[in-house]
Amino acid sequence: MEHTSFIGFIVDHLGQFFSYTAFANMTVGHLVMIAVGLIFIYLAIAKEYEPMLLVPIGFGILVGNIAFYPGLKVGIYESGSVLNYLYFGVLQGVYPPLIFLGIGAMTDFSALISNPKLILIGAAAQFGIFGAYATALALGFSPAEAGAIGIIGGADGPTAIFISSKLAPDLMGAIAISAYSYMALVPVIQPPIMKLLTNKKERVIRMKPPRAVSKTEKIIFPIAGMLLTCFIVPTGLPLLGMLFFGNLLKESGVTKRLADTAKGPLIDIVTILIGLTVGASTQATTFLTAKSVLIFGLGAASFVIATTSGVLFVKFLNIFLKEGNKINPLIGNSGVSAVPDSARVSQVVGLEYDKTNHLLMHAMGPNVAGVIGSAVAAGIMLGFLF
Amino acid sequence: MMKKTNRLSRGLLAVVLLVIAVGVRAQSAADLRINEVLVENQSNYIDDFGQHSPWIEIYNKAYNSVNIGGLYLTNDLENPTMYQIPKGDPLTLIAPQNYLVFWADGHSSRGIRHLNFDLRESKLVALFDANGKTLIDVVELNHAQRVDTTYGRLSDGSTEWGFLDKSTPAANNNTKPVVTAGDSFGKMDPTGVGMAVIAMSVVFAALAMLYAFFKNVARLYAIRWSEIFKRRKVEEQKITTEDELTGEVSAAIAFALHMYRNQLHDHENTILTIKKVAKTYSPWSSKIYGVMNRIR
Repeated sequence: MEHTSFIGFIVDHLGQFFSYTAFANMTVGHLVMIAVGLIFIYLAIAKEYEPMLLVPIGFGILVGNIAFYPGLKVGIYESGSVLNYLYFGVLQGVYPPLIFLGIGAMTDFSALISNPKLILIGAAAQFGIFGAYATALALGFSPAEAGAIGIIGGADGPTAIFISSKLAPDLMGAIAISAYSYMALVPVIQPPIMKLLTNKKERVIRMKPPRAVSKTEKIIFPIAGMLLTCFIVPTGLPLLGMLFFGNLLKESGVTKRLADTAKGPLIDIVTILIGLTVGASTQATTFLTAKSVLIFGLGAASFVIATTSGVLFVKFLNIFLKEGNKINPLIGNSGVSAVPDSARVSQVVGLEYDKTNHLLMHAMGPNVAGVIGSAVAAGIMLGFLF
Repeated sequence: MMKKTNRLSRGLLAVVLLVIAVGVRAQSAADLRINEVLVENQSNYIDDFGQHSPWIEIYNKAYNSVNIGGLYLTNDLENPTMYQIPKGDPLTLIAPQNYLVFWADGHSSRGIRHLNFDLRESKLVALFDANGKTLIDVVELNHAQRVDTTYGRLSDGSTEWGFLDKSTPAANNNTKPVVTAGDSFGKMDPTGVGMAVIAMSVVFAALAMLYAFFKNVARLYAIRWSEIFKRRKVEEQKITTEDELTGEVSAAIAFALHMYRNQLHDHENTILTIKKVAKTYSPWSSKIYGVMNRIR
């Protein structure tokens, strides 16, 4: 570009600079996504819906939707950019197992050990995954994509990211956002289904207080749990192995520092990185598609199916249980692994019908079993579809 | 105690070494395979000297890189160290699930990928480990004599051999379109019912095993094993004391127990005495004489 005068030079370069700005590259899609990001941040801060996740994801959406001039190694999909390096952990499935390590170090499996039959509720709630899988197939998604979408029904963000990174990397942003959004909306989605499927008598069933669990049992649980589940589904090893390893760190009592790191700084760092990068991966150019809308619809369906199957399974189980041993079906919803939100929903709905019937401890059993169940289901999906 | 610790650490060391040894073999040279050979090369792949020479493709079936440097290629099992692949050359590092082609033209002076024997004069080709003794893979060439048609594994690393439709030096032997696991599963189960049935059965089986395990662990745990063992021990002791103890021994034990109980203070009394501590005034601790006081 030849310049006849200094003023021309300045004007040309200002124009060139303007072409690099987000104002010049902005599309309506970017504005829509920025609005979505702002809604996420609002829900997290004002309504306290999963703030630990929605704040990083919401801000990540803002970061990912600043429209930039391509080729400057800025965007998350541009190799060599800082965001791209951070996104590597999502793409290669590095972050989810680390989050599972922290979850394992945080989780107390006592409720499950004291009443092992609650484990089965965690299995029943996984119907949501396969219901969504079948629906996605019917809507024309490929089997691998359907598998990745179905896992939203497991109500487990890290698992959804892990599976979609392997089966359908293109859909990962939509799947992750959908999974986390519905996890945040568990208190809204689940109660009407729980009330619809139960009668008054069932809602006030009092369950036996859980027995005290010894330290030895707590130590045996992660070891036996890992061996039993991973022998059946070795493909679930990255998630299940880390989950049970984290729990052993906690329960062994001799690795307090490691457990503290896993459930503290480590999970915090990984949550920040996964939240921000997943949010940033929702660039309007790749995210705003008809497929994303369908994924959101399927996500909602999978949560409904999961909750329904959990509650109905408890009712089915009660047919075979003696009076006094019966399970309150209001804890059936907590088989979806949104820990501890779905257990909290059981508690809140239970208290609506009996102010003295506290279901939280009982609901934690299927809740943590749901984490194991969804990781096992994810392993099966990988085994068949990867 | 020290002896026991030493024995334990020696045992551990042995186990670790064994694991390392097994691991090294499992993920290194043992994962290399002779994958494809061409004996009669008339108009096929051209080497770096523009010649149509016989070639051998080595495939690394491992999921980690394997260095083939130091290993031996030969056409005579009686002479396993016929050609040692040079060490330290970047070319000899085969990436995971990747290939390296050697020219078996008898001109080893042409570079490290040119062997000192000619495949046209060979009945077999074999790959030996760096020790020159362990046979990793061998292929007999009796049937591999078609002009410009390669003889290879029907899919990379598999055990089935045959003449390949296309010669694929440094590439996948299976040239048919790849159907992904997901697609083939979807073909057989277009509605997803099969997946639901299989996967839910597996999820239930896995968690039911956990349920069964912990249901019974709880039962086992409810049994007071320590008391049972203690009771047995006491019974055994009773039998021995009745049989063997004399009156003098009993007296000595009784005296020892008496001394133990009265003098050892197994349980200290737990009276806590709190005495009032009088704090007398001292100019050394007085704030009036503090060095930080400002003069006003």
